[in-house]
Amino acid sequence: MLVIVLMASAMLGAERLPLFDLNEQQRSILFDIRLPRILLGACVGASLAVAGAGLQSLLRNPLAEPYLLGVSNGAALGTMLAFVFFQSLEITRPLLAFAGAGLATIAVYRMAKSRAGMNVERLVLSGVIVTTFLSSVIVMLTTLLDAAKLRSFTFWLLGDLSQATRNGVYLSAGAVIVGTVILMSQARALNLMMVGERDAFDFGVEVGRVRMLVFGASSLVVGAAVAASGSVGYVGLIVPHLVRLTVGSDNRLVVPFSAIAGAVFVVFADTIARTAIAPRELPVGAVTALIGAPLFIYLLRKN
Amino acid sequence: MRFPHDRVTVKVGPPASKAIAGWRCFASKHRRQTWVQILERLVFLVDDSMWKSGVFFVLKAKVTRQKSKLCVVLAMAMLIFAGCRGRTDVGSQPAAVPMMVVTDDLGRTVTIPVKITRVVSLAPSVTENIFAVGAGDRLVGDTTFCNYPEQAKQIAKIGDTMTPNIESIIALKPDVVFVSTASQIEAFMKPLEANGIAVYVTNPTSLDGVLKDLKQFGELLGTQDTADKLVTDLQRRIRAALPPAECDLMPHRRVFVQISKEPLFTIGKQSFLTELINRVDGQSVTSDVDSAYPRLSKETASALDPEIIILSESDDNKEPNDVFKNSRAVKTGRVYRISADILSRPGPRLVDALEQISRCVPPCAAF
Amino acid sequence: MLEIKDISVSYGEREVLSDVSLTLREGGIIALLGANGAGKTTLIRALNGTLPLSKGEIVLDGRQIAGISRREISRNIAVVAQENETRFPVTVLEFVLSGRFVHGNAFGWESIADVEFARNALNDCDLDEFESRLMNHLSGGERQRVVLARAIATNARILLLDEPTANLDLAHQALMFRLVRERCRSSNYSAIVITHDLNLASEFADDIIMLREGRIAAAGKAEEVLTVGNIRECFAVDVLLDTHPASGNVRVTSVF
Repeated sequence: MLVIVLMASAMLGAERLPLFDLNEQQRSILFDIRLPRILLGACVGASLAVAGAGLQSLLRNPLAEPYLLGVSNGAALGTMLAFVFFQSLEITRPLLAFAGAGLATIAVYRMAKSRAGMNVERLVLSGVIVTTFLSSVIVMLTTLLDAAKLRSFTFWLLGDLSQATRNGVYLSAGAVIVGTVILMSQARALNLMMVGERDAFDFGVEVGRVRMLVFGASSLVVGAAVAASGSVGYVGLIVPHLVRLTVGSDNRLVVPFSAIAGAVFVVFADTIARTAIAPRELPVGAVTALIGAPLFIYLLRKN
Repeated sequence: MRFPHDRVTVKVGPPASKAIAGWRCFASKHRRQTWVQILERLVFLVDDSMWKSGVFFVLKAKVTRQKSKLCVVLAMAMLIFAGCRGRTDVGSQPAAVPMMVVTDDLGRTVTIPVKITRVVSLAPSVTENIFAVGAGDRLVGDTTFCNYPEQAKQIAKIGDTMTPNIESIIALKPDVVFVSTASQIEAFMKPLEANGIAVYVTNPTSLDGVLKDLKQFGELLGTQDTADKLVTDLQRRIRAALPPAECDLMPHRRVFVQISKEPLFTIGKQSFLTELINRVDGQSVTSDVDSAYPRLSKETASALDPEIIILSESDDNKEPNDVFKNSRAVKTGRVYRISADILSRPGPRLVDALEQISRCVPPCAAF
Repeated sequence: MLEIKDISVSYGEREVLSDVSLTLREGGIIALLGANGAGKTTLIRALNGTLPLSKGEIVLDGRQIAGISRREISRNIAVVAQENETRFPVTVLEFVLSGRFVHGNAFGWESIADVEFARNALNDCDLDEFESRLMNHLSGGERQRVVLARAIATNARILLLDEPTANLDLAHQALMFRLVRERCRSSNYSAIVITHDLNLASEFADDIIMLREGRIAAAGKAEEVLTVGNIRECFAVDVLLDTHPASGNVRVTSVF
């Protein structure tokens, strides 16, 4: 499925390319522009989807999503700070994005957790508070700082894959592989956590360690994804949901299938973003939200 | 015809809406529905923004409901005060400021004083126009973007084009606010007009449009002579910059204008720059793309293979995008930089832009 | 095999368990009785290593429980907790298989033996039909049996049961206690059961411990503990005691 979508996506684009006998310019379009972008899209989709799957199980809440929990916005703020203070050093962006995602996750978790344990309402509320707080910091920064310098940043915030480079792809691919492997290694523990944290503890799960690993892995993949493409919403929410409907709740299946389905979803959405109004472009974040929101409402009503 | 002082109806100032809010607090506490209804009807007559501030006050009042007695007293006092105020307002309206009715670039009819003394500009191009027609001394407020001419920097700032501060504008008591379509006009039209400030929208979409606007500015501000001289001068410079007519028969140079490097923005069908490129001996390669400043697919950009690249020079747009690294323009070194301030403002300096573009695109000449 | 020596547990300033000692022998069943808030559930959580002790020690097979890893504790002690719910569509078999977590490696999928264990546990709990049903579609009683099945599937030698029969009908109450007792008698497992049913405790438990405000009020055989005085002290009700006509154990009847 992923392979088919990748191939189909590689054939579609603002410029029509022949299947064979590409000239130099066409090869440049395919290999320097289109393929990096498709692969980055796949990595970003996989990242957000596995992070969503992991966080949902960990927090026992099917609504948990990197975007909803402030993780994405933490990463966005981190990237933005890197953008403002270390503009020349590209590598600082994913690093600070990772740090921002991690801090936001911990903040939300701390706020949501009371002595009586953690309930869903508190979690969502904390997530919303952290998300809006970070958004306002971002908006404030964009207002205070030089407008010209931050113009590209505004578009990036909406979710944008057009700045894909080969290095960006390597970085995201690395992060998503490491992150997915960590999540897979904790998948069975997550199966227990999904039912209840105390329960999981009773049955031999080292809850604290699993939590740290899952938070860490989610921050890692979300940080890399956001640094590369901005905030692409709904992937982390909708994809694990659909996957659970198909393969059940076992995280050993949900995590890898989410990675694949997330990649398919974002590549599909980005293909639309690239071609719908060609030669102009839409931000991919808008397309994922446009598909994701109605789909989510449909799922909500169906269950 | 509609004069500001025609609007005699219920002009209730902010204290009055506070009073209403006070009443509502009182009324709701004692469940006197009729009072609420009457007051609500009153509130409807008040302006939108005031209504909102009233709602705010209601919320505040709810918090301090314990003090409802005080509230009632205050409310009464305010209502009386507001009544007086309303009356004095109507009475003190200056009787005869000569007004005229004009049509702006959006086709709106605008009523403005014949003799304009205080002007606010919400766009750098407008500021340049006002200075160019010799009315810079009447400009009392402009935006943080307005950096030309030098004197424009000294003028009181009212925010930027996208997010102007309405209160500062009103405080400057201008006769007219000149805006461009880059502003969110709908957002502040109402409060300004409610305060008797006319809003005149300029929307030049071509070089000729700019000249026409300059003349219009001269007429509005009573400096026709300066404006006419300026326009004649500009027309002469335009003629000088344009290539000889026989060049039309030759193939045109394929020009790409890069507005922003990442993400890649260019000029499209509706941009006045497309017209400038096409009037000198060039052909904008993105002239058939919809919208004024479209975001362009990199694939398309790469396939366009322009012969000349013009960068609208700003901090994040000093080099051509990587997709052009194999284009003819980059290979032959035909990459030019023109200040974004000159390229992006449909003001008198658009002629400077035309001259600079014409130097980048040699007429009739083979490379 | 499980020895508790003078343990105390506090939530903040408040001490909820004080100086509790008990010994669980192989094959033994201890019933834990007491009014609401007497500290029964706290004791079970402390035994399982979930709650930190402010005083005393718990010894499992001669080793301090504080020094044993989470996995190893869970291999030996399984808990049937009160009501838990999940919002995810988990099947009954998946749920029971999660009890085999401590026996697998971290990455691992369950072995055929694991599935065998789970199926047997389901069979023991009269749940064969339910294997592929979803947890959140079960009734309270059914879910409670599934939770017990998971505890059995762990093959832990010590079962800690927190009100396992609260939602069960008469037949399944008896089934559950018979099941626990059989396991304890035949394979030297042992269990601590919290229950509010004094008669069930009398029928099935070897020893009964009565808790009152975090302290042991009475401990010993059923006929020693289930006295009019003890019950009045712990539950503030008067009861009649006689002998069960069939089993010959103490029978408690409330007086209203």
